Amino acid sequence: MTAPDEQRTREFESEALPHLDALYGLGLRLTGGDESAAQDLVQETMLRAYRAWDSFELGSNCRSWLMTILRNTFINDYRKRKNRPASVDYDEIAERPVFMDAKTTDPEGKFFSRLIDREVITAIEGLPIDFRIPLVLADVEGLGYQDIADLFELPVGTVKSRLFRARRRLQRVLYEYAIEMGYIR
Amino acid sequence: MSESDVGKGEAKEMISCQEALEKVYEYLDGELGSPDQEKVREHVKICRQCYPLFDFERAFLDFVREKGFADEASDELLERVQAIVRDSG
Repeated sequence: MTAPDEQRTREFESEALPHLDALYGLGLRLTGGDESAAQDLVQETMLRAYRAWDSFELGSNCRSWLMTILRNTFINDYRKRKNRPASVDYDEIAERPVFMDAKTTDPEGKFFSRLIDREVITAIEGLPIDFRIPLVLADVEGLGYQDIADLFELPVGTVKSRLFRARRRLQRVLYEYAIEMGYIR
Repeated sequence: MSESDVGKGEAKEMISCQEALEKVYEYLDGELGSPDQEKVREHVKICRQCYPLFDFERAFLDFVREKGFADEASDELLERVQAIVRDSG
């Protein structure tokens, strides 16, 4: 390694590597908890980031820069898999708000706070892929509907409807889990 | 809202509970443009059926936002990435 290369590597290691665990967390949410796929995704992200390191402005938000690379890497790959079987039977999704069932026992949704982090993460990762991705991008990453639609090249109405169903499905899963665990009666 | 209120003053502009319910997430996400955002807000402010439901949904979204992101450590991954950086450098 030449001296400038060494400095570049040191810079990358001190700026980018501390975000590895956060990237892996996002990778796991997007891949539905597939550790091997998430590791490959983060590795590919870091490789791209390292190659593009000269375009990163030191002092700007490195975490958000890396998250964007990871998201784009993931979505490019997702869009390439054209012959995916339909992963969701849309008709089977219950859309009844959990509130209707919980309003007499827990109208404020206090049971949510009794769930532990791992239970919530598992429920998110267990959503069908077409529902999981919009939910992760909107609720975990904070993207707007239009941003998600642009990423997927989908109409914004489709994103809206998938996100709606994803949330209803997630709250249903969490509610049923909370009943099972005795967090709610 | 009672039936006798229908058609009186501002109440005649009220959207139905069904409409409000369909837009709950768009509303809470701030994704409804004007005037729909205001229409839903007006409905929820007045409707005793919808108000607690919207509160519940808001609590749910806040909860997902708070819990949905967690860092995950992997020593193997760190080693892999460090190796890439050194090999590429």
